[in-house]
Amino acid sequence: MKTSNRARRLLLLGAGLLPLALASSDHRVRAADDAATAAEPAQSIRLSPSQYKQSIADIFGGHIAIAGRFEPEERTEGLLAIGARQVSVSSTGVERYDDLARGVAAQVVDKDHRDTLLPCKPKAENAADEACARDFITAIGELMYRRPMSSAEVESKVKASSEAANTLHNFYAGQAAILSDMLISPKFLFRYRVLEPDPNHPGQQRLDAYSKASALSFFLWNSTPDKMLLKAAETGEINTKEGLKRQVDRMVSSPRVEGAVRAFFADMLGFSEFETVAKDPQFFPRYTLTVKDQSQEQTLRTVVDHLIARQGDYRDLFTTPHTFLTSSLAPIYGVPLIDKTDNGQPEHWMPYSFQPGDPRAGILAQASFVALHSPAGRTSPTGRGKALRENILCQAVPPPPGNVDFKFVQDTSNPVYKTTRDRLTAHRSEAMCAGCHKITDPIGLALENFDSAGGYRTTENGVQIDTSGELSGVKFDGPAGLAKVLHDDPAVTSCVAKKAFAFGAGQLPAANDAEWVGIQKKFTDSHYNFVELLRQIALSDLLYKLPPSKVAAAAGQSVQ
Amino acid sequence: MAATSVLERMLNRRRVLKGMMAGSAITVGLPTFDCLLNDNGNAYAATGAPLQPRFATWFWALGLGEADWRPKDAGTNYELPIQLQALKPIQKKMNLFSGGQVFLDGQSNSTHYTGVQGMMTGKVSSTGGYFGSFDTVITDLIAQGTRFRSIECTASGDPKATWSSRLDTGLQPSEVSPLALYTRIFGPEYKDPNAAEFTPDPDVMVRHSVLSAVKDEREELMRLLGASDRAKLDNYFTSLRTLEQKLAFQLQKPEPLAACTKPGVPEKEKEQALTLATDAMERHNQFAVLLAHALACGQTRSVNYAMTVGMSGLRMEGDPTNHHTYTHEEPIDPVLGYQVKSAWFQSLYMKALYDFAMTMDNIQEGDRTLLDRMVIFAYTDHGAPRLHSIRNYPVITIGSGNGRMKTGMHIPKSGDAVTRVGLTVQQAMGVPISEWGFGSNRVTSSISEVLA
Amino acid sequence: MNLRKYLGLSAASLAFAIPLSVSSVARAETHGYVISWFATATYNLDRKASCPENRNGGRTENYHRQLTQIGYTEAEADEIMKTQGGTLEAKYETRVATRGSVNGKPAIIYNYPESVADPNIETVVGKIAYGFDLGVKNDKMKFEDPDTHQKIDNQLWRAVGCTHSFDTNPPDRPYFEDLTWHLMIDSAPAWSVMLTGDDLSKDGKVTITMDLLTQHLKRDAAGNVLTGATYVIDSGPRSHNVLQGEIKNGVLSITPKDIYLEGEMPFYAEIAMHDTHMRINMKSPDGTLSGYWGGFLDWQRYAYMYTARPVNGQDVVGMWHALKKFADADPDPKTGQNRMISATWRMEAVPAFLATEEGKLVASPVPVSTAPQPEKVAAAPTN
Repeated sequence: MKTSNRARRLLLLGAGLLPLALASSDHRVRAADDAATAAEPAQSIRLSPSQYKQSIADIFGGHIAIAGRFEPEERTEGLLAIGARQVSVSSTGVERYDDLARGVAAQVVDKDHRDTLLPCKPKAENAADEACARDFITAIGELMYRRPMSSAEVESKVKASSEAANTLHNFYAGQAAILSDMLISPKFLFRYRVLEPDPNHPGQQRLDAYSKASALSFFLWNSTPDKMLLKAAETGEINTKEGLKRQVDRMVSSPRVEGAVRAFFADMLGFSEFETVAKDPQFFPRYTLTVKDQSQEQTLRTVVDHLIARQGDYRDLFTTPHTFLTSSLAPIYGVPLIDKTDNGQPEHWMPYSFQPGDPRAGILAQASFVALHSPAGRTSPTGRGKALRENILCQAVPPPPGNVDFKFVQDTSNPVYKTTRDRLTAHRSEAMCAGCHKITDPIGLALENFDSAGGYRTTENGVQIDTSGELSGVKFDGPAGLAKVLHDDPAVTSCVAKKAFAFGAGQLPAANDAEWVGIQKKFTDSHYNFVELLRQIALSDLLYKLPPSKVAAAAGQSVQ
Repeated sequence: MAATSVLERMLNRRRVLKGMMAGSAITVGLPTFDCLLNDNGNAYAATGAPLQPRFATWFWALGLGEADWRPKDAGTNYELPIQLQALKPIQKKMNLFSGGQVFLDGQSNSTHYTGVQGMMTGKVSSTGGYFGSFDTVITDLIAQGTRFRSIECTASGDPKATWSSRLDTGLQPSEVSPLALYTRIFGPEYKDPNAAEFTPDPDVMVRHSVLSAVKDEREELMRLLGASDRAKLDNYFTSLRTLEQKLAFQLQKPEPLAACTKPGVPEKEKEQALTLATDAMERHNQFAVLLAHALACGQTRSVNYAMTVGMSGLRMEGDPTNHHTYTHEEPIDPVLGYQVKSAWFQSLYMKALYDFAMTMDNIQEGDRTLLDRMVIFAYTDHGAPRLHSIRNYPVITIGSGNGRMKTGMHIPKSGDAVTRVGLTVQQAMGVPISEWGFGSNRVTSSISEVLA
Repeated sequence: MNLRKYLGLSAASLAFAIPLSVSSVARAETHGYVISWFATATYNLDRKASCPENRNGGRTENYHRQLTQIGYTEAEADEIMKTQGGTLEAKYETRVATRGSVNGKPAIIYNYPESVADPNIETVVGKIAYGFDLGVKNDKMKFEDPDTHQKIDNQLWRAVGCTHSFDTNPPDRPYFEDLTWHLMIDSAPAWSVMLTGDDLSKDGKVTITMDLLTQHLKRDAAGNVLTGATYVIDSGPRSHNVLQGEIKNGVLSITPKDIYLEGEMPFYAEIAMHDTHMRINMKSPDGTLSGYWGGFLDWQRYAYMYTARPVNGQDVVGMWHALKKFADADPDPKTGQNRMISATWRMEAVPAFLATEEGKLVASPVPVSTAPQPEKVAAAPTN
C-alpha cells in the first residue's frame, strides 16, 4: 500500500506513542514531526521490578500473583533508577518477561477474576467476540501504555485476540494471549519521555502531557498513572501550573506515596545487594534468613513512619530512636520484644523505641546497614565507610588497586593485631592504601560496636573496641557520635535531594541550576521534610523541561 | 499499512497451521521460519536439532550419617566421605550441597515427611497436603510435546514412594514393576521418534503468532528514539527474536534422535514388594536402563525415582533388622563417629545413584552424553539419620543440564535454607523464578557458584 | 524422707505470684532462661559393665520375642521378620497386642501390661549413674554419681538403662526422647527458668522460678535454640514453681521441693518430680545453664509414656515390669507396692527475656558482654 511520507508518519504515531485519535490540534502533529526529525529524540526507561509489580497491582488488583524472576537491574551513579535508563532486555530477560506475562494473563482471565476484570461477557465462551475484546483491550491499554491506544492499535489487537480465541476455541484464552503480548511489549516494559515544543517558551521543548503524567506517577507512586492523572494529561490540565499543583498535591497526600518512598530508599540504601548476603551461622546464630529479610523491612518501616507518618526532619533519620521490630529481629539488637501472639501464629511488627543514649539510634545502626556492608565472618569498616560516603553523602570513593595485599585485614586471629582497627592501621601503613582508607575508615570504625551480623559488642578478641572517628574534620566517638555528626552535615541533605531527583528523572541534577538551588532551599525551609521535597521536585519544571541528557549538557557538568 | 500487514502475515501462517488442531496428527510442511538459527552451538546436537535438557529426581532414605559425612573443604578440591565413595569416578560431574535445613515456622514435624515437604515444595504445612513439588515446575517447562509429562518409579514396591507431586492432582503414583514400565513406554503405543508424523501444539502456535505482532512495533518505536535508545530497543528485539526462535522450534518436527534405541524386555519380577537390599539394587538398575532409554527416545524429559520410602525397610541378607530400625537403634561407633550398619545402606544407595548416573552417561547424544544434558537431583528425607533431623541435609546434583550448571563442587551452606538448592536447580533448568518457598523457607537468591 | 502425696502439691505450694515479687531486695537481678534440652539422664561410658548380658536387643529382637510369645517357633519368627520391613504387620501386631487377659477377657497389653508375664528384661548392674542422694535406705542399690562421687538414688536408670533407646551419652538424648523433643519443640509451648539474686555472678542465695510459656522455642540460624529471644509466661497457676537455692562455686543447688510443669509433648506430657534436687552449672561461657534434677517420679506415669507408644519398638511391657520392680518410695498402704521411683533428668537452658501476659518484662538474659564474641571466619564447615 502506498502512502505519503506525512501520512505514514501519522499512522506510525497513531500506532505509536502519541494518541493521534485525540490529537486534534495541529501542534500535536508538528510536535510529532519535530520529535521524529529534530535531534530531540524521546528517551526510554525500563520499569524496575517494583514498578512492574506495582503497575500490575494497580491495573489488575493486588490479588494477581506475580511469580517469576526479573532481569537484573543496573546500578549507575549509586542508583538503580539511573541505571534503568541504560538497560535493555536480554534474551533471558524476554523469556522471563514472557513467563511473567503469561502468569499474569492467565490469572486475569481465570474464572476467579474474569467477571471483575473484563468489562463484558462474550456471546459465547468458545469463540471470538470482537466487541467484548475491543472493550477489554481499550480499557487495559490506556493503563498499560499510559496513554489511550489509537484505534489502529486497538483494532490490530482485537483481530489478533479473535484469531487466538478461534484457534483455541476459547474467548478468554484469546484475551490472555493478547494481554501476554501487551505485557511483553516494549510499550509496557519501558516508559518514555516524548518531547514536544513548549508553547510558553518558543524554541524550547517540553515533555508531552502523557509522558509528564508517567514521569509524575512513577516518581511519586512508583507506578503507572491512574485514571485521574491520565485525564489531566488528556485535557492538558497537567500542563498548567495550577493543574499540575492539583495533581501533585493529590498524589503526595495519597497513601500510594509510600510505595515511592519505599522504592527510593531501598534503591538508595542498596538493598538489592542483600541477594548475596550470608553470615556464618556458627558465629552469628541469631542472623537467620528471617532476620535478613526483616532487617530491610525494619528500615523501610522506620523511614516511612518517620518521613510520612511523623512528617519528620530527614536528618533525624540518623538519630531517631524509634523503629519497628519482630520477635526474630529483637535478639539481634539484644532487646526484649513482648509479642503476645498465640503459639504458632506469625510474628507481629511492633513499634520499638531505644532508650536515650542507646548506640542503636538511627537507620545506620540498624542491621540493614551494618550487616549488609560486612563480609560473612568479620566487619569491614572500609565497606561501611564506603557505603556511607557513597549512599548517604554522595561522595565518590575510588576502587582499590588491583594488587593489594590483604594479609593483615583478613587475619582475624592475628596475635598482634587483635581488633579490626589494629589490622586496618597495619594495612594502611602501606602507602598505596593509605589515601583511600582515610576517606572510609574513620567513619566506618565508629560502627565497630556492631558486628558483622548487626549484634552489639564492646570488645574484639578480648580487647576493648575504640570507636572514635572523624568526618569532615569533626571528631566524634561511637555510633551515636557519628549519627550526630551526620545529622549536622549539609552533605546528608543535599545528597538525598539529588538522589530523590534522580529517582524521578533518571539522572542527577545539575548543581548550579537556579531552579535546583530553589528546590533545595525549599527543602531546607521545610525543615527537611522529605514529602515536601518530592512535592517541590514534582512541581518544578526541571523534572519535565528537558531530557536528562540535556540537563548535564546545559549545566556544563553534572554534580558527581 | 503496517498494522494490517502484521495481521496478514499472522493470518497467512495460521492458515497453514489450521486443520491440525485438537491433537490430530498429520504431516505438515510449515513455512520455514527465518529465525531458525543455531546461535548456541552447545545447545544443539550435530544435526542442528535442539536437545532439551532433561531432569531427574532420585530419592534415597535416611541421609548419609551424623555430621561426619560433611567434607571439610569447600569448592572443587574436596575429599568425598566414606558414604559417597561410590560416586568418586563422577565427582567432577556432580555437586554436593551440605548444611541446608528446613524451617518449621511453628508447624509440627512429621518424620520422613515434613523435611521432604519443605525441600521439594518450599512449604511446610501440618494441615495442607503435599502439593506442588518443584520438579513438576521444571517438567512443565521442559517436557512440552513429550509423550509422558514425567515418569515415576521405585524399587521398593510402594507406589507412593516418589515425592513428585502436582499442584492440582497431588502425589504422582510410582511404577513399581520394570516390566509394566517397559510395556507402558515401549509397548504397542510406542511410536518411533523418527516417524513422519508431527502434531504442533496450538498454544505454542498462538504464542508464536502473537509474538510476531510485538515484533512489528519495532519500527514505530524506533522513529521516536535517539541513537542510544534505539540501540537498547534493538537489543530488546534481538532478544525477542530468540524467544520467537524457541517457539518456532517447538512448531517444527523434531530431528531424529540418533541416540534412541529400544531397550530389552525386563523379566517379570517375582513379587512387587521386596526387602533385600540386593534385590532392590537389581530392580533399580532395570529401572535406570528403562528411564535412560525413555529419555533418549524423547518419550519424556523428566523422571522421578525413589529407592524406597523414607522408612526404608531394606535389610541385609540374613539380617531381619532393616535400615530404618538401625538408624534409630544402632549406637554411633565411638571411633568411626557414625552408625556402621546404617552406613552400609547409605553407601549402597550411593552405589545405586552412581549406577543410575552411569546408565545415563553411557548414552552418547551428539558431542555430549545424556548425563551431560541432564541434572539429577538426589535428595533424602533426613539430615542426621539417628535423630531424623531436618538439618544439615546432603543434596547431590549430577550432570550439568546442557552446560547450565557447573559441577565438581562441595557447597557448604551451614544453617541456610535447603530450598536454595531447589531454587538453584530450577533456575539452572530455565525456570524463570527469582525466589521460591514460603515463610523461613523462602529464598530470594540462588547458589551462584554452580550456575553457569 | 518427706514425700508429699502426688495430689498434695496443688494449692498450698502453688499460690501464683508475679515472679519478681519474690525479689523485693534492692539491687536484685533476675536472669531469664528457656529450657533447651530435657531428657532422662543417661550414663553409658562403660556399657559392658552396666549391661553385661546385652540381651534386650532392639526393635527387631523385641518383635521376634513377641512372635514367639504368640506361638511361633524361633525359625518361623526368623522368616516372618525378614518380610516385615521394620514394623510388625497388623495381622501379627494385633495378635501380639491383644494377647493379654484380664478377668478372662482378652486385653491390650499396652493398656494392661500386667495382663502378661514379666518378660524380665535386662536391667543395669553397673555402679555409676547420675543423681542425688534422696535418702532411700537401701545402700546396696545405690549408684555413684560420676561428677560428685556420692552415693545416689536413681532406680529408674537401673530399670530402663539397658534398653536400646537409652544407649546414649550426653550430648545425645535417649533416642526416642530425643526424637520427640526434636520433633515437638517447634510447636509445643516451652518452659522457663528464672533466677533472682543479689548478684548472680557470685555465690549466694537465689530464688528459682519455673513456668510454662505461651509460645514454643525459637531456633537460630544453626538450628539450635535461639538465645536472647523474648517469651511470655503462661499466667496459669498449675505450672508455676518457686524454689529456694544457693550458688556455690558456680553450681546452683536448691532446697528440695516438688516441681510440676505441664507439657504438650508425647514424652513430656508433664514434668512432675517430687522432692526435687538440682545441680546446675552456671559457669558456661555463653550463659547456658546445664545440669541435673533428681527426685521421685510416679513410675506408672513414666512407664505409660512408653506403653502409649509401643510402635517405637521398645519392650514396653518389660520396661513397665522393671520400673515396678525397682520403685523405691511411697509404698501403697494397702499393697506395700512402691508408687514412686528415684530418677534423674538432665537439662540445659539458654538465656532469654521473660515477660508476663500483662506485658511486663520480668527477666533478662545474662548480659551479652559476658558471652564470648567470636569474630572469625570458620575454617571448615560445621554444623
